[in-house]
Amino acid sequence: MSGPGRAPSVGFMDHGRIAVITGASRGLGLALATGLAQDGWQLIIDARDGDALAAAAWNLPGRHVLLPGDVTDPAHRAALIETATRAGGPDLLVNNAGILGPSPQPNLAGYPLPALREVYEVNVFGPLALSQLALPALRSRGGAIVNVTSDAAVEPYPGWGGYGSAKAAVEQASQVLAAEEPAVRVWWVDPGDLRTRMHQEAFPGEDISDRPLPETVVPAFLKLLADRPESGRVRL
Amino acid sequence: MTAPVLDFTLPAELEAHEPPEARGLARDGVRLLVGRGATAAQPSGDPTGEVSHHGFTDLPGLLRPGDVLVVNVSGTLPAAVRVPDSPLTVHFSTELPDGRWLVELRTAAGKATAPYAGGSPGRRYPLPGGATLILREEYSRGRLWYGDVDVAVPRLLDRYGAPIRYGYVPRPWPLPYYQTVFATVPGSAEMPSAARPFSDRLVTRLVSAGIQFAPILLHTGVASPEAHERPYPERFAVPEPTARLVNQARAAGGRIVAVGTKVVRALESAAIGAGTVAATSGWTDLVITPERGVRVVDGLLTGLHEPRASHLDMLAAIAGTPLLTRCYAEAVAAGYLWHEFGDVNLLL
Repeated sequence: MSGPGRAPSVGFMDHGRIAVITGASRGLGLALATGLAQDGWQLIIDARDGDALAAAAWNLPGRHVLLPGDVTDPAHRAALIETATRAGGPDLLVNNAGILGPSPQPNLAGYPLPALREVYEVNVFGPLALSQLALPALRSRGGAIVNVTSDAAVEPYPGWGGYGSAKAAVEQASQVLAAEEPAVRVWWVDPGDLRTRMHQEAFPGEDISDRPLPETVVPAFLKLLADRPESGRVRL
Repeated sequence: MTAPVLDFTLPAELEAHEPPEARGLARDGVRLLVGRGATAAQPSGDPTGEVSHHGFTDLPGLLRPGDVLVVNVSGTLPAAVRVPDSPLTVHFSTELPDGRWLVELRTAAGKATAPYAGGSPGRRYPLPGGATLILREEYSRGRLWYGDVDVAVPRLLDRYGAPIRYGYVPRPWPLPYYQTVFATVPGSAEMPSAARPFSDRLVTRLVSAGIQFAPILLHTGVASPEAHERPYPERFAVPEPTARLVNQARAAGGRIVAVGTKVVRALESAAIGAGTVAATSGWTDLVITPERGVRVVDGLLTGLHEPRASHLDMLAAIAGTPLLTRCYAEAVAAGYLWHEFGDVNLLL
């Protein structure tokens, strides 16, 4: 408390940097959103389940915009970036929303192509389209793009051909984007195995309680934003 | 604090001392003072607009089809808890994101309570049921404190709390007298009282007249009438369907009428760009003044506010100071009743 009319010292009235985070109603997305909100960022967040998003956002410090929707919907993507732009941003785009595909994951020999197409729509085209929309603002503001990736993008794990190849596409697109956009930082970030619903879907019926909670990677994520290293692959 | 936009003397007989039901009226039987700005008024030739006197049940005829009444669905908590064997009462104002509470200490005075300035950091107060409140640090000028309570506060309030009451209401009234028909999510330290006159029946008539309703949620903190302070942060949410309805209605020429100053605060906190809102959730410390103006709200239904209350700045931002001055002069002259159980004022 620093005088009359000032907000209390819990950091919930800081206006400043603006981030778009997709898939923020649970798991890693919610953990990153919480970390950014506590750090004073204003967030534009989405999730397919509007009720879950509203419940998650209710507990965030600060004031945030909620846009329920699907990153495969062009109108929704436009609304996300347009809202962030009208709010004065974005300074950061976190492409976190993603899907695993069928659970258990089928081998490539029998992978249903419609399901594979959906994995690519959500995990590859969604983030790329959002990046395209956000780039003008990010360039002018010296902003950053964080694309969430996985070791499945680089390791040939059996059964991970759908999700892993989509993440490999994300990584290569990130590399090219980094080469093409010197005014913007592009980090493709591998958070490791985390105790999330998606990870449980990848290991149905297995006990994943030995995996760390998504909150554990937040300090490294905030350090990444603070340090602003050159564009590249980052293991949180 | 800058000079008040409106100063006047509130005669004691214009304070509502009990719910209208205790005065032989229905909930919706209170009076409604309408102030219309020059643009909203019929061509009357008066640039400050016009003031007219109605009953609250006249409301359907005073709005237009396509107008949207935005209501706060926050319910009132029994937020006052007595400190056993002491004249003190704790008012629980606001639950903070980190689990602490903003609290106000009050001491017995006449038939109600008055501010108590005896708190200090680290001071412990026993609460009913064996709970303890520990004051941590001052939040505002010896009034609100950051406090820790060693039990779940909602359960404490449920078991031992009573609605917050100030000196102009000499006897306690049960919690249902402090709930509006829209209350669905408990969380307000004080009743969002502008909506108190609405009855199920009147809401039905409004819907039939083509007036739309849209909910927001804002949990109000305490607003001690002794201290003419600026508001402090409050937790709120403007849901996506409400944002969409508000934007569509405005685009189609409908008016957005906030039911209560807290609804103005929530909607204006969710304003993005010139005249649209986005679904927004979180905390707002927004203070509306004539200088800041309003971007989304076209009208306000509200109670009658005390002289020098900071809410009058917000009313002036919506109605303009000349019209507001006329409204309050007529309200005093015509014997309207002030406070949460009193009459209401529609500014368009």
